[in-house]
Amino acid sequence: MGDIKYYAGVDIGSTMTKVVIVSDRIETALIGPTGPEHRKLANKVMEDALSQAHLKFEELSYVVATGYGRINVPFADRQITEITCHAKGLYSLLPTVKTIIDIGGQDSKGIRIKDGKVINFVMNDKCAAGTGRFLEVIADSLGVALDKLGEVSLQASRATPISSTCTVFAEHEVVNQLANGEPVANLIAGVHESIATRVYSLVRKLQIEKDIAITGGGAKNTGLVKALEAKFGSPVLVPPEPLITGALGAALLGKEKCERAILDGYNPTRSKEGLQEAKLFS
Amino acid sequence: MAEEKKGRAVATQTAARIPKFVRGNLSATLKAKEEGKKVAKAYIADGQDEIMRAMDIVPAWGESFSGVCAAKRDAEKYLQKAESDNFSRSLCTYATCHIGFEMIREEQGGAMPEGAPWGGMGRPDMILGNGQLLCDPRFKWPQALQHYLRDVPVFITNMYYPPWDPNTDHHEQEKFYVKYCMEELRETVKFCEKITGKKMDWDRLAAVVELSDKTWDLFIDTYDLRKAMPTPMDTGDAMNTMVPLTFNLGTQEAYDFYVELNKELKQKIADGVGVANPEKYRLIWAAGLPSWFALNDFQYFNGKGAVFPVEVTYRGCERIERLDLPKTNDPLEHIAWRWVRYWTHWYDAARKRPGSIPKVERIIEYIEDYKCDGAVFHSAFSCRSWHAGIIHQADVLRKIYKDIPILIMEGDIVDISSYNEADTHNRIDAFVETLEAYKSKRKN
Repeated sequence: MGDIKYYAGVDIGSTMTKVVIVSDRIETALIGPTGPEHRKLANKVMEDALSQAHLKFEELSYVVATGYGRINVPFADRQITEITCHAKGLYSLLPTVKTIIDIGGQDSKGIRIKDGKVINFVMNDKCAAGTGRFLEVIADSLGVALDKLGEVSLQASRATPISSTCTVFAEHEVVNQLANGEPVANLIAGVHESIATRVYSLVRKLQIEKDIAITGGGAKNTGLVKALEAKFGSPVLVPPEPLITGALGAALLGKEKCERAILDGYNPTRSKEGLQEAKLFS
Repeated sequence: MAEEKKGRAVATQTAARIPKFVRGNLSATLKAKEEGKKVAKAYIADGQDEIMRAMDIVPAWGESFSGVCAAKRDAEKYLQKAESDNFSRSLCTYATCHIGFEMIREEQGGAMPEGAPWGGMGRPDMILGNGQLLCDPRFKWPQALQHYLRDVPVFITNMYYPPWDPNTDHHEQEKFYVKYCMEELRETVKFCEKITGKKMDWDRLAAVVELSDKTWDLFIDTYDLRKAMPTPMDTGDAMNTMVPLTFNLGTQEAYDFYVELNKELKQKIADGVGVANPEKYRLIWAAGLPSWFALNDFQYFNGKGAVFPVEVTYRGCERIERLDLPKTNDPLEHIAWRWVRYWTHWYDAARKRPGSIPKVERIIEYIEDYKCDGAVFHSAFSCRSWHAGIIHQADVLRKIYKDIPILIMEGDIVDISSYNEADTHNRIDAFVETLEAYKSKRKN
């Protein structure tokens, strides 16, 4: 492997765990479920990522953990919030972006960046409306696979207005509309519009500046991206793999820290903890 | 190498006396009946404190009681009780918590609700409502209370919160505001005289007002000591040390408290003792009442090296000389001028800076004086009157002053159902990272 140095970022989100390993380029990126049982198994996702990159854990120069589960990653050298990591990761992929929308499993965020640094952020972490969870609930009710929602919604003749902002009541409203004969595609388009409205009212607090990009699971839904573009009145850029920007940013921040440390004349210390599962209840 | 959580290095010993102070205020309302004194359900910061003190009326502060319930995480039963009579959760939770408490007491024939925090608060003989012509719950709350406390007379007045218009010279208007306020205060005195059956002792009121002025000056002198680096006291303590100024104005106990706090802060500065060690970031608590059930969040900030040497909230006074008050022998006129000028003395500065507003001028002055690196606002969902314009203030601050890291926290004053500690700490972590990014940008 010579003098090449490797850095890993681990993003433990509410539903997915993401690992990215970088050197001077992205070596590998892997996504696995978080879930109740998997929450403590970030080490497994890391093992798989290392195996994919033909690396050993000891060859990593630094590991940064991010996401809601970042505290429970025993083998990480540092924890950084997903806000900072998303900004860093996305800036490396789309450097013209100034406003980021992140629609994750359990929350949504808006982040304003300048030169890759966060200058402001807002979060919706109090209500499932406007998050991936809302889409999951609706997908279940309509019997449509989560990853097909976007595709189906593009066939809509109109977006059925969904007046309830509460996820539970919105589900009830959608089921009633379905019983009244409203086409599934229109209902899904209505749900996308409802989420886009919520997200817009959150992110506009930041004084939105273009370019705008989206990350997180919501970015994989083409129908939702279309609804957001209509609401924001601007194209919304989607990075090649929108789920990994947090982990990528974490790896890049680890790299930056190490390189700065070396310039300052010292070697950053690695965690003494090996690649092990998180002890959540000890 | 998980990051270590560092606790708060030092809190002031003087602040530790505050729970006793608050308990004292509550027990005074319970003892009042034995002492032949009248209890008034009262509201803070609206010019009535000194009238009550001069007439031996014991104030029962509803906001304080609800805050205590929240801090003890024991408000839910009262909120639910009020909700059962259709008082929505989106109404002021200071009000609904207190209304729920009074509802239970009345249902029990006047017996104190079991487990009432710190022994509960005495039943009022009168209700003095006021809301600065700004805070609508504070004049709807007394009316709602009267549904349950049918025998308790209610009197609602309002000092006049001076309107801000960049195109109007407030100096020409002030005398009208003062006239209005004086009328309201005179009527308050008449009402209190009627209920107590005693005449106002005007010399005594003048002495109380003089003591209040001294307390205002001492408070500012003391809080100015927090400009020291490292700061000897932050907002985590100030949310306690505001009690004597806010709830005991015009009493010797309040003045003596700040004498002691002043002494302690000077000693801490001499010893080089700060709130956080090391002190990495200095912040202003720019607006918003705190979540009383989550005051430990200040310690979370401190653990990250972030301290609050200054806050706008509960800094309800100013150095008297700065207000340039007209000389008068009428204590009510003095209270009125002091009230009006407390707000309007920021107006000239705001008019000079295009796009500014007085509240933001105040924040800018504190940022400069206390050398702050960032600003934190708290938006409490159930308080519309004081919290509705917070995002606007943050936007104006950034627009007319400078690019400064700003955190807007969201929660409530009393209702804990709006609060999630993990998410709140996540936001604080992200904000601290933003502060660090700004700091390193400045260095480069």
